[in-house]
Amino acid sequence: VKVAFGEGAFWRVIVPALALGVIIFSAVVIVYGLESMAPGVHDVFHDFRHVVGMPCH
Amino acid sequence: MKESFTNFAAAGLFAGILWGWLAMAVNAATGAFPFEGTLVSNWAAFTAAGGLFGLIVAGAMRLLSGALPFKGALANSVLVSVGFWLVLRAGGALLSAVEPERFHVVTLQTLQGLFLSVALGVTVGFIWGLIGSRSPRRGAD
Repeated sequence: VKVAFGEGAFWRVIVPALALGVIIFSAVVIVYGLESMAPGVHDVFHDFRHVVGMPCH
Repeated sequence: MKESFTNFAAAGLFAGILWGWLAMAVNAATGAFPFEGTLVSNWAAFTAAGGLFGLIVAGAMRLLSGALPFKGALANSVLVSVGFWLVLRAGGALLSAVEPERFHVVTLQTLQGLFLSVALGVTVGFIWGLIGSRSPRRGAD
């Protein structure tokens, strides 16, 4: 990692990138209402999905 | 390094929460979607989802700081926010094509979503500057 990204790359690149990946995955689960990933997410964020213009029933 | 990490996370989270509340207000004004949930449950959902979206925009700005085309944080945050929304919307269009009974497209809500994605970028860019974090710009890192 140090060779590829330079000194301090673990905290500067790898950790933020992994954290961002997890957060983006959570956002995808919310905006598509993926019940298989998080039961109940469809109902909880139903209005949010409509308001931000995502297709929903 | 840790200070920078904390700054961008705080800016994104705070801006996203504000944006979530703004999204509720905008929708109440436009009437694009009649709210189905209660005010309290929607407030909690929009706060959580807004904070998440704000974190994503700020995090992407931080990670892509060397690759973003504009000099100012505001323009870059709008670019990242609208880009992220377009990717999600493209995925939604794909799901709508596969399962049209489950995923309905409403044009007015889509236009509102596009406007709100610009608003999210403006909010994150503004708060980012307010907190005093180093603006991500071309060649900054």
